[in-house]
Parts: sequence; structure tokens; C-alpha cells
Amino acid sequence: MNQKNKKGILFDSTRCIGCGACYEACKERNHLPKTVENFLDDELSDKTYSTVKSRNGHFLRRFCMHCEVPTCASVCPVAALEKTELGPVVYHSDRCIGCRYCIQACPFNIPKYEWTKRTPLVRKCDLCSDRLLAGQRTACAEVCPTGATTFGGRDFLIAEARRRFRSSPGRYLERIYGLEEVGGTDVLLLADISFESLGLRTDLSKQPLPLLTWNVLQKIPNFVTVGGVLLGGIWWITNRRDEVRLAERRTQGS
Amino acid sequence: MTHKKLLNLTFWRGVLLVIFAGGIYSSVLRFAGGLGNSTALSDEFPWGLWVGFDVLCGVAVAAGGFTISAVVYIFNIERFKPIIRPTILTAFLGYVLVIVGLLFDLGQPLRIWHPLVMWNPHSVMFEVAWCVMFYTTVLFLEFSPMLFERLRLGRPLKVIHAITIPLVILGVILSMLHQSSLGSLYLIVPAKLHPLWYSPLLPIYFFISAIALGCAMTIFESFLSYRAFGKHLELGLLSELGKVIVVVLTVFLVLRLQDLAGRNALGLVLQSSYESRMYLAEVLMGIIGPILLLLIPKVRNSHSGLFVASVLVVLGFIMNRLNVSITGMEASAGRSYFPTWTELSVTFMIVAAGFLLFGLAVKYLPVFPPEVRIHQGLQDEPREMVPNLIPRSLLLGSKAVLATGALIVLAAVSLSYSGLRYRSVSLQGVAEQARMVDIMNALKYYQMAPDIVFAQAESSPGKVVLRHSTHVDSAQPNCTICHIKAFRILRNPQAKEASVLSGDMHDEHRCGSCHNGQKAFSVKDDCTLCHSSE
Repeated sequence: MNQKNKKGILFDSTRCIGCGACYEACKERNHLPKTVENFLDDELSDKTYSTVKSRNGHFLRRFCMHCEVPTCASVCPVAALEKTELGPVVYHSDRCIGCRYCIQACPFNIPKYEWTKRTPLVRKCDLCSDRLLAGQRTACAEVCPTGATTFGGRDFLIAEARRRFRSSPGRYLERIYGLEEVGGTDVLLLADISFESLGLRTDLSKQPLPLLTWNVLQKIPNFVTVGGVLLGGIWWITNRRDEVRLAERRTQGS
Repeated sequence: MTHKKLLNLTFWRGVLLVIFAGGIYSSVLRFAGGLGNSTALSDEFPWGLWVGFDVLCGVAVAAGGFTISAVVYIFNIERFKPIIRPTILTAFLGYVLVIVGLLFDLGQPLRIWHPLVMWNPHSVMFEVAWCVMFYTTVLFLEFSPMLFERLRLGRPLKVIHAITIPLVILGVILSMLHQSSLGSLYLIVPAKLHPLWYSPLLPIYFFISAIALGCAMTIFESFLSYRAFGKHLELGLLSELGKVIVVVLTVFLVLRLQDLAGRNALGLVLQSSYESRMYLAEVLMGIIGPILLLLIPKVRNSHSGLFVASVLVVLGFIMNRLNVSITGMEASAGRSYFPTWTELSVTFMIVAAGFLLFGLAVKYLPVFPPEVRIHQGLQDEPREMVPNLIPRSLLLGSKAVLATGALIVLAAVSLSYSGLRYRSVSLQGVAEQARMVDIMNALKYYQMAPDIVFAQAESSPGKVVLRHSTHVDSAQPNCTICHIKAFRILRNPQAKEASVLSGDMHDEHRCGSCHNGQKAFSVKDDCTLCHSSE
């Protein structure tokens, strides 16, 4: 995967005025129905892929973090979720069997399910992957009137975040959320208060979660071959022992 | 004779009938109404009873099959041969019912075959899917001699006999993979599963505990077959299995405690919390209780002792799987989960189907060797079935064992109950104080959107220019007031002019929604307020 081409979003909560433009743009682009009167009350669901929450006197956007090594894509048994080269983690709905392991495993609780449908699918932000392919920004970044949501290459966004730290000393927490969390995400968050108080988990490991299962899964081929040979060997020995015993008894008898 | 028997409605048949009626009704609700309307599942709690019990426990029921077949065929310990067929049958039924359970649980059950052609070797669920498919096939082949013998098909029987050893080896390996992979499913949620249950050793835990359960199920179903069908009881063998259970459970206990200590989580056990109570109840009922009981030779060699201990192992095992899949996830999900009666009745139906199929198989297939039939049970006296299902030894002697078992269960239940009271407290999140967001600083970056010049219709008295500056509260901008549906917020790259909207701009979905004389001056007022005359 070409790291240089990776696109992402930098969300700077110190610039967010809670106007809801990103919320509305996401609904429009994804043809999603209206769900609540006041957009600040809305939660992520199969009908809302991006929210703005007011937490401890700050606005915070929640949507898919587009992990570098996505847990959802790793756990999906049919590879319905895929990390694309440009950055978006996209969903191939025609593959999905509905096991909901992605919902269970996502460290950010992003994928949502169409619980009320008879043939339900998983729903989440796809970083406007079709717009990205057409050379456009994401819908949310296009409409943001303050630059709180900035779209760009991941490396550029990290540099931009550090530039903001330098140019306004003391303003930021000087930590980029998403730089290292679960191996890094393409969505990066900035704040001037602790990320915990914004309701984000800061106890996530730096290593990608899929490594936890891959460490076990990669042993399977060896386990099968060694196990098979071992069991076959044991059978051969015990069987042979019985045969010998029978033969000895026979010779003794005669 | 057969006809008459079918009409004979005994107590247990009545129970079965009720369970099936409830289950079928719930199935209709599930498939007609979708998962959300029939279950307690949600985005916060995507896996519930059907995964925690039907799948995690259903698969483990099959562990007796691979353990005993490895003992008999690989290690050539032939004296366990009399109990191999019932364990294989249990395993096969267990897997078939797991697949049935999956069809209920999967959002798209018709796509259950997808993992066959759509691969993701990085997914534990992919491994699980393949193990289910492979091992069900292997179990069917291992089970098939019972069918072939009954149907007197010599040829296929020979073929199966010829491939028994490779089949058993394949079965053992698949089963080991599958039991452990169910534990591996939870390896990827270190931040979600409570530390009392999350461990890097989860796959090993699931494997070890499945062996204990497999042995316990073998004992349990032998007693049921003995009582219900008058099958011979291999007490000596079962008591040996009891010894195996002691060893396996001790290893399980030591590993778990050592691992807790290694992760500095041992203190969590003694904390007064929902999770600690459930943990203690599980360990007491499923591990410590049975170990203590089975360590006593007198108990181990008695009907009631073995039966009570095996029931404890089964209950404790179920509790362990539910703790991993439900209890341990509740705190991080921020909400509790309790299955709906639809989920419960489907599960009851699946379990009942297991018992029914096992009974039918015992009745019509050579599951138990025929010569060891010592007394006639159900077949001739169906009415005696009710008292028969409770081992007579339980009713007459061994009251001490029964009392101990009941005491252990009671202790576990009261522990869990006291834990439940902590749950309601711990799940009540701290209410966040509503605080106004200070956006003064952020407003410095605010750039008002440009004015929009709408294309003029022929009947229009003049061009309309929308000025964002007069429509937006610059102290607290809220774009969603106008940009809902009718007023697109995204630029249309094709359109040169902002003609965008079809229909009458004056109606209540467009300008008229605010310009109605209440929120703002009405569209029926002076036209020139919007339509400039130039």
C-alpha cells in the first residue's frame, strides 16, 4: 500500500462551532433520512454515519476512524470490509453474511446494523470513497466553514497538526489522537482538553488489534501438519504395540 | 403398535409440544420481523444468547466426541469403546444444532455459504466457519456407520471403516482448532471484555473447558439414556471420566488464577462488583464444586455423585460462556443485555430438538451395543417416563451428595443475584453536565458561505439573491436550519447557476418554511423584499 497516497481527515475540535454542516452534508451525500430534531442529539446509527456531539464544553465529531490496519476488515469472515489504497475502509454489502463481528470488534464502536430490516446490512462512513476517486474532498470537509474538518494526505495532515501546535503554543493538548491508536488511523483528532473528557478511549494499545488474532491464526498450518503427524504416529505406535502383543500371545499359545 | 404410541401423550411429550409451538412462533417473528424486532440485540450488544449459548455451548457439547474417539482409536484404549457412539452422536447433533442456531443469528442466513468462496484467512470467524463445515462433515461420516448398519449397507460401511483412522485424526485436529477458535474470537476485544475473562490464553481456556464439558456431557447423557431407555450404564468408565474431569478442571483453574495474577487482575476477584460475583459463581459451580465432589472416591463411584458433579460442570460451563459473551461485555457496552422471550424460546426449541433427536437415534439406530440392554424402559411403559427421568438413586440414597450439589448451585445463584444489584449501579453512567460550548475562539476561523444567486423563472418579478449573512446567526451558526433536504448543502459540480430547486420556492418545504409570517416575514408580503427589481 502506498503510504503517500493515503488520504484522511484532520478534525480540530478547537475550531468546531457546531454548525452541523458536516452532519447535513453526510446525510445528503449518503441519501440518509432525517432522524432527530436537533442534530446534536443524534447518535451514530444505520441512518447516521457522522455525528457532532457536545461534550464537556467542546464539540467532537464521531465517524469512522479509517484505521491503518482496520479491525473490522480483519475480523470479517468474507472480506466484506476492505481497506482501500486511498485510505477509506469500504464495505462490500453483497458479501456480508450478517455475523456482526465487525460491530463487536471495532475499538471505536463505529459500524452500525440495520436491525429493523429483514435483510440487514452494516452501515458506516466510507470516507466518501467515490468522491475521493473522482479527486474530490469528502462531503463533510467540503462544507466545513471553519476548517475544523480538513481533508488531505495523512502525512500532510500530521504536519498541519504540528504546525498548529507550533503556531499557537499552549492552545492545544499537543497530542494527535489517531497517530498511534490501534496502529494509527487516517482520521486524526486535535483538542485542547484531554481526549478522555471528550469521551474517547485513551487506553487503546498502539499495536493494531488484528495482530492479536493473527498471532494465533498463523500457527494453524503448522498445528495441522504437526498435529496430524503426531496423532498418526501415536496411533501407529499403540496399534503396533497391540499387534505385537497379539502375535506374542499367539506364539506362546502354540 | 407404533401408531398407538404416537398418540400417547406423556408429560414430556406435552412439554416438548409446548416448547416447539413457542419456538416455531418465535421463528416466524424472527424471520418476518428481523433481528431488531424480535431480539434484545443492538449496536451496543451485537452478540447475545444465540451466540453465547447456542453457538459457544453447542460446539463444546461436541468435545466429548473427539476426546473419546481419540482415546479409543488413536491411543487404542479399547475399553472406552462402548461409549464412543453416544458421544459421536451427541457431537454430530451438537454441530447440526449450532448450524440451526447460526441460521437464526446471522443477519443474512441465506448467505451462510459465502465463507466457502469468499475468503479472509485473517478472520477468526472465517476459521470458525470452515471448522463448522468441515467438522460437521467429518462427524456425519463418523456417525454414518450407525445409519449404514441399520440399513444393512455393507459397502459404504466398509469404506468408512477403512478410513476411520484418518477421519478420526482429521476430526480431532478440526475439533481442537474449532474449540480454541471460539475463544480466539474474543482475543480482538481487549478493550471491551472485562479483565476477569479477557486473557491471551482464551483459546486455550476454551479448549480445556470444552474437554471437561465433553466428559461431563458423556456422563450426563449416559445417565439419561440409562433412565429413559434402560441402556446399560458403564459406571466404571464414567467414573474414570470423572477422574479426567478433576485433572482437566484443576489445570483450568490453576491456569486461570496464574494468568489473573500475571496480569495483576487477581484483586478484581475480591472486589465487590457485578463481574466479580459472576466470576466467583462460575468458578465455584463449574470448577471448584465438581473438583471437590469428584475427588472423593465414594462420590465418584456412585450414580448420584457422578450425575450431580456432571450437572455442575455443565451449568458452570454454560455460565462461563455466557460470562465471556455477555457479562464481561456489558460494562464496555454501557448497557445490560437480557434475551427476549423470542430468543429464549428459539434456544429452548433447539435444545429440545437435540434431546428429541438423540432419543429417536437411540431408539432406532444401533447407538448402544444391543447385547448390554439390561432392562426395558420407556418402550413398554411410557407412563413411567416421568419418575424414570430422575435417577432413582437420587431419590433414595446419596442425599448428602444431592444436598451438596444443591448447596453449590444455591451459592452460585445467590452470588450472581447479589452481583446483579451491582450491575444496575455500575451501568448508570455519570450524567454529563450540560455546558455551553464556548465557540468564540473557533468563530475566528468561520468563513460565511458566499451569496447565492438563483436563476430567475419567467413568472418571477425579479432575481433572488440569498445572502448567508442575513440568514445565519453569526454568534451561533446552525446550518441544519435551512440545509435539510430541500436546500442542498453540497455543491452540484454540473450546475452553473443555483437553479437547483424544482417546484415552488414559496412552499412550506422551501423558503416558505421560515418565511411564513411567524418565523420571518411571509412570502406573501412585499415581493421586493426578496425579488430585486433591477
